[in-house]
Amino acid sequence: MLQHITIAEILKEEWFKKGYKPPVFEEKDDTNLDDVEAIFKDYEEHHVTEQREEQPTAMNAFELISMSKGLNLGNLFDAEEVCMDLREKQGLHLNVTANEIIHKIKEAAKPLEFDVHNKNYKMRLYNLKAERKGNLNVATEIFQVAPSLHMVEIRKAKGDTLEFNTVPHDSLITISLHFLNVSYC
Amino acid sequence: MGCFQSKVTRQCPGHEDPIILASQTAFSVSEVEALFELFKSISSSVIDDGLINKEEFQLALFQNRKKENIFANRIFDLFDAKKKGVIDFGDFVRALNVFHPNVSQEDKMNFAFRLYDMDGTGFIERNEVKQMVIALLCESEMKLADETIEAILDKTFLDADINQDGKIDISEWKNFVSRNPSLLKIMTLPYLRDITTTFPSFVFHSEVDEGKILLRLKLLKNAKGMAQLNMGS
Repeated sequence: MLQHITIAEILKEEWFKKGYKPPVFEEKDDTNLDDVEAIFKDYEEHHVTEQREEQPTAMNAFELISMSKGLNLGNLFDAEEVCMDLREKQGLHLNVTANEIIHKIKEAAKPLEFDVHNKNYKMRLYNLKAERKGNLNVATEIFQVAPSLHMVEIRKAKGDTLEFNTVPHDSLITISLHFLNVSYC
Repeated sequence: MGCFQSKVTRQCPGHEDPIILASQTAFSVSEVEALFELFKSISSSVIDDGLINKEEFQLALFQNRKKENIFANRIFDLFDAKKKGVIDFGDFVRALNVFHPNVSQEDKMNFAFRLYDMDGTGFIERNEVKQMVIALLCESEMKLADETIEAILDKTFLDADINQDGKIDISEWKNFVSRNPSLLKIMTLPYLRDITTTFPSFVFHSEVDEGKILLRLKLLKNAKGMAQLNMGS
């Protein structure tokens, strides 16, 4: 039975690879431990700087006001950098290790056609559906902040951020993480 | 334990019947259910109580739960229809409904007017607009001289304040917006039109069940229907 080849499969074909230079997109920096310290201090917002071409001097006041992030409810739907601090639930005895969490995320991601790479406690999930410019990839990392306090950071990596904000697309992903208690053994 | 158990039907404080909510809004039943997934993730992010408090709202909008913003405050206040200081699921759906592409411009204009009428006097006063402009500049880390801000306000009020009484009433606002339709851009979220097909979302849950942690990965309803993967430990 004839089937259409997917783009992901095309990328693996020998004839396609000949002379093919994959486009390189700007990637966000890898996380560093400043994020961990930020949990103790008040968390500073990391701006996504958008290029504004015009000086707003001739703008109507309401046009100006409309640019506020607080008025852009699209942010409720986007996958953005998410850092959440996680507190141990009282009275509960949990013995899941960070490695087990990583393993579970991998298991869950595969049927959804994500390829998962991890190194230590950093993981990246690559969307194998390369239907658009720049795959949506997700990076996660587990930090230990204190013995009973861990943080799992999840963020987008690669891909076109502005495009996500303006164009809803079926590879847009929202991820949230609830009260995950992780311990290292 | 948190509000959201492993069962599909939940008796959470904020939860309303999706069928009723769908009948009151531009959303279908399955869209309301998809919104419930979003609501759950926001409402459990700081306190797991089935309600969205101000910090959780700020966290969802800015990824920073401590971030204070006068516009987010106004939106929050308008969502919090019962003035309880928290947003329940019914509030959430009914408020988001106004942002649906299929909802009338009239409803959107009214919502925007209430948004900008910060003190609820029924007028958008010049000093309110100035306050909002200054807040926006501050948020964007831009600085403008006071004369420049005044010039922007002059131009805006010349255009919008037809009877030149220093404030914009609802009919002047509607007239102004009809001539400047881009002002209502913030009042429409295209995502809402096909919320179940627009984005497949997955939410990592951790739930404690008999000493085990279950990681649930849910694929939010897409065109192929709800897919749910459970993994026991």
